[in-house]
Amino acid sequence: MTHAPVIDIKNERRHVDDLTPALARRAGFTGVLVLVVGAILGYVFGADHFAEQFLRSYLASYCFFLSLALGGLFFVLLQHLTYAGWSVVVRRLAEVVACAMPLMAILALPIVMAVLLGWKYPFSWANADVVAHDALIQKKQAYLNAPFFLLRTIIYFAVWIRLASYFHAKSVEQDTTGDVELTRRMAKVSAPGMLLFAVTITLFSFDYIMSLDPHWFSTIFGVYFFAGSAVGIFAVLIIMAYLLQREGRLENVITTEHYHDVGKFMFAFIVFWAYIAFSQYMLIWYANIPEETEWYHVRQTGGWERVSLALLFGHFFIPFLALISRHPKRRKNWLVAGAVWILLMHWIDIYWLTIPAAHDGAEPHASLHLLDATCLIGLGGLFVWSVAGRLAHQSLIPERDPRLAESLAFENQ
Amino acid sequence: MASLAGEIDNTSDDPRVRAPLVVGDHDLASVTESVARVAEAPRPPRAWYIAFAISVSALAILGVMILYLIFTGVGVWGVNNPVGWGFAIVNFVFWVGIGHAGTLISAILFLFRQKWRTGINRFAEAMTIFAVICAGMFPGIHVGRIWFTYWMFPVPNQMELWPQFRSPLMWDLFAVGTYFTVSLMFWYVGMIPDLATFRDRAVTRVRRMLYGFFALGWTGAARHWHRYERAYLILAALATPLVLSVHSVVSFDFAAAQLPGWHTTILPPYFVAGAIFSGFGMVMTLAVPARQLFGLKHLITMRHLENMSKIILVTGSMVGYAYLTEFFISWYSGNIFERFAFIGRAMGPYWWAYWIMVTCNVVTPQLFWFKRCRTSILVLFIASIFVNIGMWFERFVIVISSLSADFLPAQWGYYTPTLIDILTLIGSFGLFFTGFLLFCRYLPMVAIAEIKAVMPRKHRQGAAAAGEAGA
Repeated sequence: MTHAPVIDIKNERRHVDDLTPALARRAGFTGVLVLVVGAILGYVFGADHFAEQFLRSYLASYCFFLSLALGGLFFVLLQHLTYAGWSVVVRRLAEVVACAMPLMAILALPIVMAVLLGWKYPFSWANADVVAHDALIQKKQAYLNAPFFLLRTIIYFAVWIRLASYFHAKSVEQDTTGDVELTRRMAKVSAPGMLLFAVTITLFSFDYIMSLDPHWFSTIFGVYFFAGSAVGIFAVLIIMAYLLQREGRLENVITTEHYHDVGKFMFAFIVFWAYIAFSQYMLIWYANIPEETEWYHVRQTGGWERVSLALLFGHFFIPFLALISRHPKRRKNWLVAGAVWILLMHWIDIYWLTIPAAHDGAEPHASLHLLDATCLIGLGGLFVWSVAGRLAHQSLIPERDPRLAESLAFENQ
Repeated sequence: MASLAGEIDNTSDDPRVRAPLVVGDHDLASVTESVARVAEAPRPPRAWYIAFAISVSALAILGVMILYLIFTGVGVWGVNNPVGWGFAIVNFVFWVGIGHAGTLISAILFLFRQKWRTGINRFAEAMTIFAVICAGMFPGIHVGRIWFTYWMFPVPNQMELWPQFRSPLMWDLFAVGTYFTVSLMFWYVGMIPDLATFRDRAVTRVRRMLYGFFALGWTGAARHWHRYERAYLILAALATPLVLSVHSVVSFDFAAAQLPGWHTTILPPYFVAGAIFSGFGMVMTLAVPARQLFGLKHLITMRHLENMSKIILVTGSMVGYAYLTEFFISWYSGNIFERFAFIGRAMGPYWWAYWIMVTCNVVTPQLFWFKRCRTSILVLFIASIFVNIGMWFERFVIVISSLSADFLPAQWGYYTPTLIDILTLIGSFGLFFTGFLLFCRYLPMVAIAEIKAVMPRKHRQGAAAAGEAGA
């Protein structure tokens, strides 16, 4: 392997404090505005069903942005766990995305409140009337009940916030001290951290998504949600790196080689997602047991079949063919286009997971609601507010990471 | 460098340098020498003869068992109604699982640029080949009328019998067949430069002709290397999905059914994780004595062993995650049959098998949280044996416990293996080890050419300056 001459990062623009605070303010303001205006419009025009529709739309977008933050945490944990060298120059970006976790904890409040108040939506099992007439939910009450749900939510966010802030804080500390010991300590913490991550993300997906249809169950569900989150973060990293470089930041730091590698991971996880999705679908389809197929039944009728097919092609076949070659992965513009596409598909995936389930007995029809859009933009604005705001506070790369030189000189063979 | 009871310690986790992957005072020539002399020695070590004698005896037992089976019928096994799948399927899944580490190391770790794989990939791949042969044998002899085995292949015949493509067992044939073919190609293509080395060093005519034949006229020309590298990369890309698909398809044999305990959606990735886990367990079991016996400690270093132990910990934890998820969902489903199946596993008639499985597969790998255990040859070896045992019992639990008690209590039954079953299992180890020992004796056990690419220096400079292994 040949090594390119290592660049001097001191000559690079690696701060965005002149740029992102304004962006963060604008995004945050827009987010709140759209969320509020959307809610008012929804209330005025939707009156009776407003709260239900709002919570459903809100949950879909909430799970989408949370999955990105979780993906960021996964990426950081993975790099430390594997002593990765190539990824150092993009790790800070993932650290910052993961640090949206406190915001996501606050944004969980409307959902948790709905459960605590015993509303029928988004989770029908939270409502005493529903449970009283449903023998199957009664059997699950030891798990599906409001206090335990609240407790689990607190535990999830305690774990995620702690992990995200730990890795971010230690990494930033290293920027000034250059202490090698910090790298070793982060590697040590990453192993139990990954274990905690696996357990919490699984149970979160059971609680917040799978239990929307409280009769249905699938052991692979946690892995499915994880696979989507991983796809999401690699797309986000590509887009972030691209936008930063467009503003003249990290111009020589993040190279074609790094785009190529992030692109490879995105490709790999697209295939992994398809593998998990296929495993779940094929086994349920093949065994054809009604208590399992009902979940897919609602997703294959009432217009949802089109969404399902859009996922099959848009989340797998098209990106698979588009990204299999090394050339698109090494051309920034193509790769970014692919990443934007994939991120859109990931949102459709989460939408497809959450929306069809949240109905009151009736089979739901696929139609985009105004609130779906306003919640997406609203929560998106707040998410960008968190990420962009935090980006301004430190360097965009781990300045004195002991493997930074390796990452800067990295070349694909 | 500190000494770990005769070992050179290259397990330091200093993030500033990458650990050396070839330790001691070695240059390119001495690496070639140390691998080639194993195959060129007039006689292998005495331990090899002892191991070979035992293996061949076990192989002979296998032959007798199969002949007895064919001439008598599958009634000689313990299979009954309802447990129609007994040891044969347990052993099949077990051996396929063992066969996963080789291609994972040579394909996936290659794509992940894990350079330490070069020390262990060759014999792990060989192990894969022999394990898949052992695996493939079992469904073949399980069909009862063995002379119709070829009906499994999609060949037209006069009776207009066609394979049932909707059956997961049929998919198995293709999945395992493809895996074997690609693994064999991978193993062989990777070995070509080393076979040429053996040819060039050969002192007898027979050796020169045989190694020369298989070396395909390799001269080490730049053009050869270019094509070789391309072929290797493409094969790695092709083999990577295969690593996941084979055991996923094997899991479909169970998961596509409606039987509680078998029908669960996490089975494909869970089986893959378990397969890699068991595969690495077996690589460890073989690597520890082999590096000692053939003097390869400088190529298969402590760091290689430590890394393998970490993979065992990761995949063991994944398997533990799957156990927990299955158990939780069986309760959460609210389905009494699901609940019964899983409580039955832990507390029913096969509770002992279940707890052997949990102890070996989930508890044992937890030792590897501690560096002291990851760098202790004794702990590594014993733990790897536990992993092998645990993974065999996992398949036993899945196959037997679910079949023995399904929906109708009137159909329940208890499965007891016969002596023939047990001897056939032992015999399959004979087949495996005979193949592996012959490989150790006659073929390059370590990828000489690949390992040279990760060596820091080409000339001897003293052990103390072993340097880093590159980015």
